[in-house]
Amino acid sequence: MQGLPILRLAAATIVLTVITSVLMLIPDWNGEQASTAAADIDRLLDVAIVLSSFVFWIVMVPLFYAIYRWRAKPGDEGDGEPIHGNTRLEIIWTVIPTVIVLGLAGYSWVVLDDIEASEPGAIPITVTGQQFAWSFTYPEQNVQADELHVVEDRQVEVTMRALDVLHSFWVPEWRIKRDAVPGAPGASIDDDFVVTPDRAGEFSLVCTELCGLGHTTMRAPVVVHETRAEFDRWISEQDPIPSDQPEPAGSPAS
Amino acid sequence: MTSALTSPGWWRGLFYFLIGAGFGFGLVIALRAISGLDLYQTEPTGYPHIVVPAITGPLGFLIGIGCFDYWFRWCAGAPTIPDDHADHGAKTWKDYFKVNTDHKVIGIQYIVTTFFFFFAGGFLAMLMRAELAQPGTQIVDPGVFNGLFSTHAALMIFVFVIPVFAGIANYVLPLMIGAPDMAFPRLNALSFWMLPIAGALFLASYFVPGGAFDAGWTGYAPLSTGAPLGQSFFNLGVQFAGASSVATALNFLVTIITMRAPGMTIWRMPLLVWANLSTSLLVVAATPFIAGVQFMVLFDRVLHTNFFQAAFGGDVISYQHIFWFYSHPAVYIMMLPGFGIISEVISTHARKPIFGYRLMALALLGIVILSYTVWAHHMFVAGMFEWLRVPMMITTLLIAVPTGIKIFSWLGTLFEAKIHLKSTAMLFSLAFIVTFTIGGISGVMLGMIPIDIHVSDTYFVVAHIHFVLFGGSVFTIFAGIYHWFPKMTGRMYDERLGRIHFWGTLVGTWGTFVPMHWIGMEGMPRRVADYAAEFGNWNLMITVSAFILGAVQLVFLYNMIVSWRYGPKAGPNPWRAKTIEWQVSSPPPIFNFDEIPRVVGGPYEFGVPGARHAIMAGEEAEVKRPEPSRAGIGAPS
Amino acid sequence: MESASLAAGAHPDDHHHGPPEAHESSKIDRQTLGILLFIITETMLFGAFFASYFFLRVVANEGPWPPEPFELPVLIAGFNTAILVSSSFTMHWALESIRAGNHRGLKMGLVSTFLLGATFLFIQLNEYVHIGFSARDDAFGSIFYGLTGLHGAHVFIGLTLLAIASVRAFRGHYGPAAKDHLGVEVPGIYWHFVDVMWIIVFVTVYIL
Ligand code: HEA
Ligand code: HEA
Ligand code: CUA
Ligand SMILES: [Cu+2]
Repeated sequence: MQGLPILRLAAATIVLTVITSVLMLIPDWNGEQASTAAADIDRLLDVAIVLSSFVFWIVMVPLFYAIYRWRAKPGDEGDGEPIHGNTRLEIIWTVIPTVIVLGLAGYSWVVLDDIEASEPGAIPITVTGQQFAWSFTYPEQNVQADELHVVEDRQVEVTMRALDVLHSFWVPEWRIKRDAVPGAPGASIDDDFVVTPDRAGEFSLVCTELCGLGHTTMRAPVVVHETRAEFDRWISEQDPIPSDQPEPAGSPAS
Repeated sequence: MTSALTSPGWWRGLFYFLIGAGFGFGLVIALRAISGLDLYQTEPTGYPHIVVPAITGPLGFLIGIGCFDYWFRWCAGAPTIPDDHADHGAKTWKDYFKVNTDHKVIGIQYIVTTFFFFFAGGFLAMLMRAELAQPGTQIVDPGVFNGLFSTHAALMIFVFVIPVFAGIANYVLPLMIGAPDMAFPRLNALSFWMLPIAGALFLASYFVPGGAFDAGWTGYAPLSTGAPLGQSFFNLGVQFAGASSVATALNFLVTIITMRAPGMTIWRMPLLVWANLSTSLLVVAATPFIAGVQFMVLFDRVLHTNFFQAAFGGDVISYQHIFWFYSHPAVYIMMLPGFGIISEVISTHARKPIFGYRLMALALLGIVILSYTVWAHHMFVAGMFEWLRVPMMITTLLIAVPTGIKIFSWLGTLFEAKIHLKSTAMLFSLAFIVTFTIGGISGVMLGMIPIDIHVSDTYFVVAHIHFVLFGGSVFTIFAGIYHWFPKMTGRMYDERLGRIHFWGTLVGTWGTFVPMHWIGMEGMPRRVADYAAEFGNWNLMITVSAFILGAVQLVFLYNMIVSWRYGPKAGPNPWRAKTIEWQVSSPPPIFNFDEIPRVVGGPYEFGVPGARHAIMAGEEAEVKRPEPSRAGIGAPS
Repeated sequence: MESASLAAGAHPDDHHHGPPEAHESSKIDRQTLGILLFIITETMLFGAFFASYFFLRVVANEGPWPPEPFELPVLIAGFNTAILVSSSFTMHWALESIRAGNHRGLKMGLVSTFLLGATFLFIQLNEYVHIGFSARDDAFGSIFYGLTGLHGAHVFIGLTLLAIASVRAFRGHYGPAAKDHLGVEVPGIYWHFVDVMWIIVFVTVYIL
């Protein structure tokens, strides 16, 4: 491998990585952030983007260099150098990716723990999916509604329920998603999650698990109130949970 | 006419199909009459009088067309008709429509059939893109749209990508290892004939009450257990495709293990052989899981069992676990043979030995093992066991390591090489490295739980799917088809058209699937027929690119058909490759070899003076020559 | 359309010689290896149903197992197990006989294996009739019939193979050389598999 401009190739890789990373970090890929999880996840995405750019260029630079440098001249019917391998190189390109992915896994784990940490005083809400509408129950307030209302900077603890088929809860601005599974025998299905909205406003809850004809349009409004008082006012305007309704907390398969 | 009904062939196939279907129908009606039920059960999920004939009819067809004639005689202990030889080879195009036990004929049958389904599935994708070109309803309503992507994916996965690799390997693998045929030629024929049945069942679902199956290719319960009749056709089609793929995998494994030419130790096997060995291991051990789970769904639908009915103690999420325990390995079933093809093409057209051959083979096995340990990465947001997520994330990300070894070793192969870009096969291979790397990286992002929580079930996943499946698998399929086209047909394809196809496909793929990442992250869910207006422009661009992508596939079709008939003669070894299939005539002689060749070295010894891979029969005298000449190796005499 | 006749040409005289013998690169013969691999596939098919069993019993179900009103006739099933296990021995006897060139023993062995297997299947079906619940009764019924039915289907396949082997044995097809009784050995391997699988199913479903 004489005459290989290793330094220049390395420099090219670094420069291209920096350029792509910078370019790729400019857009807000995931859009508006409206929960404490959003910032965490987006930062993780940024790290992934930088490392991915590096991985991409460390493949592309040698690839294009090889095509440029060792392209056969017309009429050249000879063979390349009979190189069969190089143990050192092979170890390097086994170890480096291992380190990168383990790093990414570790960081992901930290972020996961962060966004799933529960805070005291969270508002419990049960979200029920049914072809093709959402309904929201506030057990503490004994209220049911077809809009999701929460309070800025106040964690909510969501329990997912489904009455017929799978549905999925997604508010893109919160970056949080979780399936609603019919039956929900508590212990076996992980149907709880927490989210802390940190921006007041109106958003949209999207169903992201194929649930049939109306899947496309299965949405619900989400309102994040600025203050607890606003939220309480809204609560007071809602209907109480009808008493004849089967317990929404989904008594395990009876 | 009577002779047409008694001898194997299409007439008898049709006849037995009717008998089989009639029998199934009669059986259901009779049983229901005995049990005092309504004769016709027409709840959406029911229709046993259609579901059962949809099993017995195709079986009748298989018997009629002649897949079992030999076995029936053998089973009865009657003298068998030694059809081995008479059935070998195809003399006219009509022979491709008969049951044939020649691996080369079966290979072509496979490839042509699967490409038919590719175009059918692609056509459905075009309809999908037309609907998605703008927000609102364009050409189909949401119900039909759900059917479109479900059938699109089922056709592409089960009757295109998975079997087309079996087809290519069917043709070249026995030649490569110096075997006269596959280990079980009749089983091989049966495997093939189950495939059109699977595809036909998928397509037939469009014509039954309730329309095509529309629960996605993943067919999650309980949506699928309550879906209309078409879903049963999906369940059955998967069984036929699965049985076909298991039978082929067994055949490959036995062939590779027991029929290698003398001297071909496992470390002298070409990487395509290694790749198919690994794939077959995946198929044999994983495919039964999808068979099992689709049976359970069918039982829940037709027999009203409760495997997935939460109200009766069933477990909804267990469907996903069992499904993905197959379907994640399935994505490598769709990729590993492609890795094999890329190794062959790159080493040949770069005229260099594969860099790190052994590690390349071991990486394949590493992927096989790891791929059984990652299924739950499709279920990070499914509400499954919380504790399973992090371990599955780690194994998922670790798959990048053996895959990376493959990518870097191909780069190593290109260094100090003599890279020939004149072949379309090589262009597709190099482009594959670029595109697949991107698809793999988006896979790694999906593997990171917090990111997946946000982008799961969005167009980001659709982008990942198509970068790895189209930019990955399909690119390797094209590379393989172009590479072995001269071998299979004895003629050269038109390189100029090949280039048009290549560049069109490359630009089309990127134009179609790159923006999907963006709209996915920004909030466009997958499997929707309508979307927020803000995504309109990107979707329009995607649709236009997809149409370009579709159009250039027609160039490919034209090139293949016309070159097959009128292309210039190719000669035995147009690419000056070393592996055995290139040392015989193009197309190869009817029984591959007169005498089994002897393997004396590695398969990619380019540039090593005097090195040989195999010595063909009648060639002893030439061994002393340092540089083997091309002409001498040609057809064995 | 001469271009389509791919494999033709090249060898004008191909009609009077067949393919060359393949080199045998492994000691194991193709049929045996084939059936062993097939058994891996079959095991995984059972694996899918066992996975379902696990989810239904351990994950989705909280109470006792079998859930309340259901009861399983362990004793009859145990008796049936003994029948199936003994059929493995008769199968072995058949194989040993033909190895020694004893055709009578072969036939007797095969027929008794077949009869034992058929008895097993009969008792199993009888159990279904009298067991008092159907596959529609709760997930328990579904998975009970799923696992035992899947196994029953395999017994049926095994019986078919045995029937074929018997017919051929009575027509005098087999011989003592290893190559000459693969038609007994291969169904035999499969039969042993069906047997072992029953023991696993029995222990899981009835005992544990
Ligand atoms: C050919 C098919 C194929 C292949 C090869 C892959 C490969 C991978 N896939 Fe993909 N995947 C699919 C087909 C495929 N996938 C399909 C069809 C779905 C959707 C199913 C559905 O829901 O409909 C899916 C969905 C899917 C999901 C679920 C998304 C969701 O629904 O939420 C995840 C999550 O982890 C994932 C991950 C991966 C990973 C980590 C790889 C890895 O194997 C990729 C490894 C490769 C590389 C990483 C590139 C090369 C490596 C290097 C250059 C080394 C250095 C790299 C690093 C250090 C990062 N895939
Ligand atoms: C190997 C697999 C494979 C391949 C090759 C493709 C190829 C293509 N796919 Fe597909 N796709 C999947 C596998 C594949 N796909 C899977 C698994 C899903 C997930 C499904 C699910 O959610 O369940 C999916 C989903 C999917 C969606 C998302 C649907 C949704 O979630 O709402 C879209 C949307 O654009 C799409 C588009 C395309 C396009 C434009 C192509 C193009 O590459 C196609 C190119 C076109 C052609 C090859 C055909 C050319 C033909 C003609 C021009 C007509 C001529 C006609 C005749 C001759 C009869 N696919
Ligand atoms: Cu509810 Cu999709
Ligand atoms: Cu996967």
